[in-house]
Amino acid sequence: MPVSTHLGSQLVDLCSVLLLLCCFAIVAQRRLSACVDLFALQSAFLAATAALVAFLTGHRHIYFAAALTVVIKVIVLPRILRKVIERLNVSRELGMNVNIPAGLLICGALVIIAFFITQPIIPLGYLLTRDSLAIALAIILIGFFTMIARQKAITQMVGFLVMENGVFLGATAAAYGMPLIVELGVFFDVLVAGLIVGIYTHRLQDAFDSVDTSTLTVLKE
Amino acid sequence: MQSVIQILLVAVQLGLLLALSPFVVGLIRKVKARLQCRRGASLFQPYADLAKLFRKQPVISSTTSWIFTAAPYIVFASTVAAGLLMPVFVSHTPLNFAGNIIALVYLLALGTFFLILAGLDAGSAFGGMGSSREAIIATLAEPAMMLSILAIALTAGSTNLSTIVHQSALMEGVVVAPPAHLMAFAALFIVTLAETGRVPVDNPATHLELTMIHEAMLLEYSGRYLALMEWAAGIKLLVFLTLLVNVFAPWGIATSLTPAAIAVGLLVYLAKVAGLAVIIGVIESMFAKLRLFRVPELLGAAFILSLLALVFFYTLKG
Repeated sequence: MPVSTHLGSQLVDLCSVLLLLCCFAIVAQRRLSACVDLFALQSAFLAATAALVAFLTGHRHIYFAAALTVVIKVIVLPRILRKVIERLNVSRELGMNVNIPAGLLICGALVIIAFFITQPIIPLGYLLTRDSLAIALAIILIGFFTMIARQKAITQMVGFLVMENGVFLGATAAAYGMPLIVELGVFFDVLVAGLIVGIYTHRLQDAFDSVDTSTLTVLKE
Repeated sequence: MQSVIQILLVAVQLGLLLALSPFVVGLIRKVKARLQCRRGASLFQPYADLAKLFRKQPVISSTTSWIFTAAPYIVFASTVAAGLLMPVFVSHTPLNFAGNIIALVYLLALGTFFLILAGLDAGSAFGGMGSSREAIIATLAEPAMMLSILAIALTAGSTNLSTIVHQSALMEGVVVAPPAHLMAFAALFIVTLAETGRVPVDNPATHLELTMIHEAMLLEYSGRYLALMEWAAGIKLLVFLTLLVNVFAPWGIATSLTPAAIAVGLLVYLAKVAGLAVIIGVIESMFAKLRLFRVPELLGAAFILSLLALVFFYTLKG
């Protein structure tokens, strides 16, 4: 069914691009709570992409991974992060290492780099999801950039989670998902990382009266 | 016979643009009023406003030059001309030989240019402030607009608007490159909000001196000149909305000249424009106006989105 495969791969592309769009929204967003909401939205799109791939290929275990994504990344983790933000009483990012227009331009360049790098591999991949691999790499790079560009621990955590979303999308695109046991391990890791960053942010707040990670380079009695 | 039909079509399109634009403005105001739990003015209030302004005697400042009185006519004429170049409810618009999508963009830019000059001409402080802000926004919005339009033109293989719309209408909704279209749509939508002075960029309802952009340039105008400027702003909004619905969602547009197809095309067009106007009303109620220094961030995002649309056209083949 060449037409159906073509339509299917276009739908997968569309879903992956929505993930990328969320990345750009996060990069352009100053308000911490909005960043967390956008991350939840991105995870919802990720779950939709995974479910779509599962439906189109008939791999049952991807459904399971999609369900786990909804539970952990759409519901639990954003809730933890929102709680941390509530207690910290910081609502927006004031100082940034890179200002927003420059950040957006850099992210645009990162996307082009990701497409350029994956160009030789893409024709070798599965027909259905091969374009998503390039988008996944772009999402990983942008998540990495968010961690570098932002100073607040919360947004750095969001950057880390965005990177993780990119890895998940890449795994789905390149290999139709990892074995279930690996997925479970990764989800557990992410959950624990979320908890640790929550606690770590509180300690940071107590010690320095701010959640700015750049203060960690300053020596303190 | 053929040429009579063509002339008739141009006349209908002209009439539709002129008649529909105040209604779209009224519809957005009504949606905003309902969302704020007000009853709001009638949907036809903008018509009454225009009629009132046309009857009033204009007052012209003694410090102004000929530019001040010529600008409303130039702005109005260039906007209407831009509206006549694009397909509205028939995919083959008769005047499409007169210019392609790039001509349309620059006809709109011509109107903006004279609007800016008119704001400066009276020499009032607010006019100059409004003009300088409008100039910033116009220069920042233009690259995003051109790139997103180029992305669409590449997909269709032509810069002629009728060809673009006709091709995608005949494909029955299966778009060639959805990611590129999605990005280009998002970019062009942000540009629409910026160019027509809607909320995240400018507040069309404000008369607070420090925040206004479009209103500041019109402060010195009165009577029929003000009416022409307001009407031209309404038509510009309608031109952008038409561009968005016809380029990205051309389903239902008349691809042949049979009466049935034209009737369906007309109804579908009205429904789509009304839907988009309601969406803009909802957005205006949801978001606060951005501070002026944040506007470049928004338009920068639009630029990146349109750039990505171009990249996706070359890389994502589906």
